[in-house]
Amino acid sequence: MKPAVRIQQEDFSQDEEIGALKASSKRIGGIATFLGCARDFSEGREVSEISFDAYGSMALSELDRLRSDAIEKYGLLDARIVHRIGTVKGGENIVFIAAGAEHRVAALEACRWMIDELKQRVPIWKKEITPQGEAWVMPHP
Amino acid sequence: MIKVLFFGPVAERIGNNQVTVAFRPGIRLQDVRDELAAKYPQAFEIVCFAAANGEHVRDMSLPLADNSEVAFMARFSGG
Repeated sequence: MKPAVRIQQEDFSQDEEIGALKASSKRIGGIATFLGCARDFSEGREVSEISFDAYGSMALSELDRLRSDAIEKYGLLDARIVHRIGTVKGGENIVFIAAGAEHRVAALEACRWMIDELKQRVPIWKKEITPQGEAWVMPHP
Repeated sequence: MIKVLFFGPVAERIGNNQVTVAFRPGIRLQDVRDELAAKYPQAFEIVCFAAANGEHVRDMSLPLADNSEVAFMARFSGG
């Protein structure tokens, strides 16, 4: 089985990830997922591709910690996080997060918390490639 | 030596993803930042976070050992 936390260039299968999560415990009564995709339009510009750079070893250890923190904070039975790097075309998948819990509230809240925390804690950067040129995305503080 | 890593927008402004800084006893993370910020002011305008040996560091007075790996990073934009 693939590791529960991964950073990879290739696309992922949501079905495989959910299957792996369900296989981890039959006590799971609810699974919440978040799928982040590449928009083909951002701030008034057409975006053809998004390119990702990452501090690979630190990003992976931060994602591992994020998963452990979510399991502890929300009492999850299991969680999975997959983030792509390299180049992703408009409409393609970027990130997948799944949280499995006995009941829906913990799963939904943990899923939301993980994607919000990922954006704050995990050293990954995206660059939008447009017909007018390329620009790193600079989130507002 | 201290290995300093740059990624994404900071690496682009520096024109490199890695530099080295000479180690000296007592050197702190802030000293490395000051030295590089003087050399690459445009890149350090967007530096928001620092890491040492793969861990977030908020206290810039952290003393560094020889062969440490540090990173100065822009605000993250993953996800």
